[in-house]
Amino acid sequence: MIRIAAVGDVHLGEDARGRLRPALDHLADHADVLLLAGDLTRHGTVEEAHVVADEFAELPVPVVAVLGNHDHHSDQADDVTKVLEDHGIRVLEGEGVTLEIGGRRVGVAGVKGFGGGFAGKCASNFGEPEMKAFVGHTIEIAERLRSALESLDTDLRIALTHYSPIPETLRGEPPEIYPFLGCYQLGEVIDDCGVDLALHGHAHFGCEQGVTPGGTRVRNVAQPVIRSAFATYGLES
Amino acid sequence: MNEESPQYRVAHVRRALAEDPRTAEMGVRVNVRGEHLHLSGEVATEQRRDELEQVIVELLPDVEVHNDVRVADTREPARLEELR
Repeated sequence: MIRIAAVGDVHLGEDARGRLRPALDHLADHADVLLLAGDLTRHGTVEEAHVVADEFAELPVPVVAVLGNHDHHSDQADDVTKVLEDHGIRVLEGEGVTLEIGGRRVGVAGVKGFGGGFAGKCASNFGEPEMKAFVGHTIEIAERLRSALESLDTDLRIALTHYSPIPETLRGEPPEIYPFLGCYQLGEVIDDCGVDLALHGHAHFGCEQGVTPGGTRVRNVAQPVIRSAFATYGLES
Repeated sequence: MNEESPQYRVAHVRRALAEDPRTAEMGVRVNVRGEHLHLSGEVATEQRRDELEQVIVELLPDVEVHNDVRVADTREPARLEELR
């Protein structure tokens, strides 16, 4: 069994330095890989990225991340990514990574994702330039996830996003804001490509468990939802 | 000018909590009950929980804030969910 640890929305900054470390020191007892589902920082600054890098440094398992909307807030996403990568955290945005775990090949494809809403209740790529830019961003990122998943030739495939691919894991959030929490395009790509587990964050008041229309298990690992340093999932390979 | 309605008051507080760099919190619920304002949700540290009140008091000095926001639980997980 492949053991996946995952958490999102840790929102680290100098005031939160070291808070996850006591649990992370025992990570190898729980998991073979750690996946970070975005919103690793509070304001998306390089200084906060260094706190994140220190928090997840020198762990006994590979660490793979995507960024979230908070990590973009200071328009320093490239610098944030570089700090994390320089400290051994693989940051995905439209790419896949293959990990060898227990003799099995585990693929992780990651994108930030974006909003837009869910089938029948979503924004369209129509009208004002601002609206087309919004939905165009959604479509572009979903297609990047497709490319990343298609690039993986592995025994298991995991989709890692910040925004949600389904509405089910948003239950607990006001339905009016679902279009700002995720989009159906991510779910559609996940179902088209065949994925063993989809992980996301972003929805602090959502719930942990859901499933795509095509039957892929989805887990919302936002820290306020899982209420621990990380959640762990066992996947049969 | 009319007294601010509870709906607008909630909107103004939520916007302040999200956009003020001292808080940058989008995951906090705000309920207005007369001159009482109730906060719920979760933040990463005790300091951030206190900062919520600072921002609100500057915006609405006359309301009474009930801060029920909890601080994130960062203990190790107690279980592994097996997905078969």
